[in-house]
Amino acid sequence: MTDELSTTEGETMSDGVSLDGSLLAVGGSALTLVATILVFLVRPALALPMLLAFAFITALGWVTYQAEIARLLTLVATILTVLTVGFITFFLFVSALPAFLEHGLGLLLIPVQNGEPRWFFWLEGALPTGETYWNPLSGAYSLIPMIWATVVVTIIAGAVAGPLGLFGALFIAEVASDRLREVIKPGVEILAGIPSIVYGFIGFQVLNGFIQTNFLDDGASFLIAGVVVGVMALPTVVSVGEDALSSVPQSMGDGSVAMGATEWQTMKSISIPAAFSGISAAVILGLGRAIGETMAVAAIMAAGTQFADPLFDIFDANVTLTSLIATQYGSASESTIDVLFVAGVMLFVIVAGMSVVSQFIEQRMQEKLKGNQ
Amino acid sequence: MSDAYATTDRLVSAESNVYDRGLDATIALSVVGFALGMVTLVGLVPLDAGGSALTGAFATLLAVVVGAVGISGLASYTGVAPITSQRVRGIGIGLVVSAVSLAVLAVALPVTMATLLGVVLLVEALALVAAGATSRAGVVDTEPNMSAGLLAGSVFGAVGLAFGTVIGGALVGFGSPLWAVVALATGAFLLAVTVLPREDVGSTASPALVVATLGLVVVTGVVGVGWQWNPQTLSGGFTGSAVIPVFLLFGTLLSAWSAAKCRAGFGARGREYGAFLVINLNAFLMVAVMATIVLFVTLKGVGYAVHGITVGALTLLVVLSPALVGAVQFARSPAGTSDWNTGVRQLFRVLPLALVGSLGTVLAGVLLTGSTLRYAFTYVVQVNRAGETIDTAITVTPDATVGTLLLIAPALLLAVAFFRAFGSLRSVGTQSARTGSVRQAVPTAILGLVALIGCFLVVGPSPFGLPLGGTLGFAAVVAGTLAAGALAVLPLAGVLASNGSSLAASAQDEAPLFTLGVFGGLGLLTAALVLQPVAAVNPLVGPVNLVPAVALLGAVASLAVAVLTTAARRGSEETITRRLLAEETRLGLVGAAGFTALVGLHVAVTGVSFTVLGVSVANEGSLSWPMVMQAYIPLGLEPGGIMPAIVGTVWLVVGATLFAVPLGLGAAVFLTEYAEQGRFTALVEIATNALWSTPSIVFGLFGAAFLIPRLGGDESLLAGMLVLGFMLLPLVLITSREAIKSVPNEYRDASTALGVTQWETIKSVVLPAAMPGVITGVILGVGRIAGETAPLILVLGSTLNATNAVDVVGGFRFVARPPFVVNDALLTASASLPTQVWAVIAAGVSGSPQMGWATAFILLMVVLTFYAVGITARTYFRRKLDYE
Repeated sequence: MTDELSTTEGETMSDGVSLDGSLLAVGGSALTLVATILVFLVRPALALPMLLAFAFITALGWVTYQAEIARLLTLVATILTVLTVGFITFFLFVSALPAFLEHGLGLLLIPVQNGEPRWFFWLEGALPTGETYWNPLSGAYSLIPMIWATVVVTIIAGAVAGPLGLFGALFIAEVASDRLREVIKPGVEILAGIPSIVYGFIGFQVLNGFIQTNFLDDGASFLIAGVVVGVMALPTVVSVGEDALSSVPQSMGDGSVAMGATEWQTMKSISIPAAFSGISAAVILGLGRAIGETMAVAAIMAAGTQFADPLFDIFDANVTLTSLIATQYGSASESTIDVLFVAGVMLFVIVAGMSVVSQFIEQRMQEKLKGNQ
Repeated sequence: MSDAYATTDRLVSAESNVYDRGLDATIALSVVGFALGMVTLVGLVPLDAGGSALTGAFATLLAVVVGAVGISGLASYTGVAPITSQRVRGIGIGLVVSAVSLAVLAVALPVTMATLLGVVLLVEALALVAAGATSRAGVVDTEPNMSAGLLAGSVFGAVGLAFGTVIGGALVGFGSPLWAVVALATGAFLLAVTVLPREDVGSTASPALVVATLGLVVVTGVVGVGWQWNPQTLSGGFTGSAVIPVFLLFGTLLSAWSAAKCRAGFGARGREYGAFLVINLNAFLMVAVMATIVLFVTLKGVGYAVHGITVGALTLLVVLSPALVGAVQFARSPAGTSDWNTGVRQLFRVLPLALVGSLGTVLAGVLLTGSTLRYAFTYVVQVNRAGETIDTAITVTPDATVGTLLLIAPALLLAVAFFRAFGSLRSVGTQSARTGSVRQAVPTAILGLVALIGCFLVVGPSPFGLPLGGTLGFAAVVAGTLAAGALAVLPLAGVLASNGSSLAASAQDEAPLFTLGVFGGLGLLTAALVLQPVAAVNPLVGPVNLVPAVALLGAVASLAVAVLTTAARRGSEETITRRLLAEETRLGLVGAAGFTALVGLHVAVTGVSFTVLGVSVANEGSLSWPMVMQAYIPLGLEPGGIMPAIVGTVWLVVGATLFAVPLGLGAAVFLTEYAEQGRFTALVEIATNALWSTPSIVFGLFGAAFLIPRLGGDESLLAGMLVLGFMLLPLVLITSREAIKSVPNEYRDASTALGVTQWETIKSVVLPAAMPGVITGVILGVGRIAGETAPLILVLGSTLNATNAVDVVGGFRFVARPPFVVNDALLTASASLPTQVWAVIAAGVSGSPQMGWATAFILLMVVLTFYAVGITARTYFRRKLDYE
């Protein structure tokens, strides 16, 4: 249908007079816009007047050839959006490059200190030597402790958000009555809406004290950070998982019930297997949320750049990749900032990758379910 | 379906009735135990409580349970809300029995809370064993499968593994590899016990074993209140105060699941009941967590956040007026028959109206008697790293001053609401030639005034030294205002002077005067009003200003007309007449609200307050809310508030929305309507989704490294706006695309079939249909970015205790060199709500936790308001779509 429309429009555009006028309007508008961008890159001070010129010409065009100008404007919005997205990605990678070139893979795999690669760092995790992995003053940079901290927090968060999220999704999609669903679903959404800094403040003020008295800890711990991040990731798992469960065709469940199966048998043997990939996509997205969570983690455990000792000690504390950036950027030197960009790129790649993978999984599932119908 | 099964147990034998009741009681005991575990875990009741403390705790529990069960039972008994499910009844009775017996035990035995909790676990285990044995012996009718199944088996195998690890570690120590043997043996044992026997034994014996072990450990004091285990390798450890509640939570969950299985007779139905119990409990827990967080932050922060609020009674009354209209609207919906149920419903409909009425009367009483309402409380501030309690109060004063903003906003809201409810009065009544000519003259007059405004704006009030503003402008304002006043009283005068047979007839006859009077008067007066500051005049009549006096006159006249038509409507029978009179009433109310708004607008634009009969409208109103309206006061007794942070957050949200919404919406239109659906659109979709889930701190990194050097080198408000805009952009794009896609293709086809061009179709068919979805998405997205912190701490440069709010509107300056317009306020650092909370955390001991809680509370309220509005709007639009 879209095609038909565009051809009819093409015909009207070739009507001579209208072609000239609209071309003039669209061309003028586009030209001034390009000029504005060029001027912004060369002499930012003159960009504003150029922008005004663009706005004037566009407004003029809007009055005379609205359809063409509108199409141009939406195209411009698309291009700008794509450019913004692309540029952020590009800039992050370029900024991370110097640190990569300087420190090499040692930043991520083998820590290098004073030019000596420390091949046996993984032993140090089990048999601590007290050496530093992160000391900007002596040029010791290694992101491995932070990666490990992120992994620990994410595992705990996944252990909280995964099962609870699955049960929650089952409840909303299959068990709850319509009226109950209308209460619970917004409730879960509001849980997602509570700002992370509020979670962090509760963790900082209340939960850290709780763990001191009840778990003999000195305050900050992976356990609390993980549990809080898990609660924060819970709504993502619930809502995406619920979408997946709801997209299982009604007829499949009906068939099962018609055979005399109970609702739980239907859920266990029909809905969950059919929506399994969608549910795993939900968990992946939730884990992505957990990896990217910054403020709650930074508020609960702001210090430490060492491995947990031993590695599975969930009462220890250490900064994660995200909270490293948040807490260190303000006081960082040039070379440290480069390393922080490497952390940023890692986060970006991992989380964006997880998002893409989960989208892919969901799409596959949808196609499969459609095929079954 | 499960409800249908629930009634089947009426058909079974008397033995199974005892069995059923016993298991219902076990489930109920588990629920009570779970609640007790929660309560002791957060320390509401200490585990070593004994004697009177313990008795008190269980008395409270008893009261809660008896109250809850009692009122539901009463409602069921009287048939108001019948509860037919045997299971629900059984659990209700079980709850009461458990609470009573626990309370009795607490009084009778010299025990502590911890021991009692252990006893709860032991009783559960015994009940499970008894249920399993009864079923195995065939005393009751059950339908067990051959085995409890591998799923349950593996769960218990894992539990056994964990148990064995701890037991082995405690017996032989982790040094010797023997602990692994013990762990594996226990795991295998529980797996075998679960899987090998028939289902009724398998799914009761292993939970009973586990629960009994937990109970024994607690009762015997092996893990007591003062118990500690501090492994060398870990930097933390375990204490009884944390472990016992966790035992209880886990144990009661297991036994509840198992008892539910028994209750439904094992087999497929038993598994369903067990699974549903766990799923329902989980859902309940999620909602409880959310409510707890919101409630907790509110309790912690609300005292500080509302300290020192003072407000005039009249201001409150004005603010209350939209609530009054809303309550009336709510109460107007049809109530149905006079049954008991509909009677209750009717009561609930009227309740808000009654509430508003009583509140309004109290406030009017304050105004008339001149007394003051005062609620005194204390709050804590941080002075020299220690808390200090300050007395404060919320006060309602008899001050009759109303601030312009608080007058304009509700009045405008009401005017718009009434106008939306207003239909049309076209071709009603008799048109006379004279009203026709006036109707034509009004737009001309308004246009003339607008032209004058334009002239004065360009040349100033006194061009070339000629006092044009003082003469020409003055005359125009006076003439326009007087004309507007005449128009405003026209409907009233017309109805009163008309010689119709009845009030209703004359009101219907003079309908043309209504539209002319209200709309003409409002338009003319608005134009005259705006001309005043431009021409720098403010005509006086005696001691009062002319324009607000006329506006007030208009409001009173319109209100009188509304009252008059309502009275006429009561007396008339004909449906058509009644409907027309209702329209006229609405129009009168539009006029009343609109003219009231103009009074406020006059004061706002001229800055001269307007007083009549002791009531005054001023720019500086009688509302004082220190937390929101003051900045931090250094070295003051009272700490002031966080206005800079609130202003900062408002500007951030506005900036981000202005950046993201046009771009995102435009791109969504292009991608969905113009572009060919294929690789490119799919790629953009995947990219935007990926960007949406990108960690916010990464955006902050980009802003700090790219934007800040190009925006003057300092952390700034503009950088914050742009970074939040980048974050909002993908969401706007995604939701707008969804909304546009969900517009049915029939709409587009129908429009195309009528020969409408593509752009016209998009503009007048697709976008209006998609708008609700877009707006909802934007509101929810804005709610999310309003609470976003991570990027802002890198780019905003927020400081704790800011004393100045950014002045963006006043920051614009015109300069002679490019870029000609600058705004320094945009390029300076600003505070914001989320970064303010972070600053409290980052300040460590010198940060004021009380202020942190209060800020977190206000932030939470702001964000939740966005969410509530967004979710409500979505529900509303969805319902509307469903009906159509």
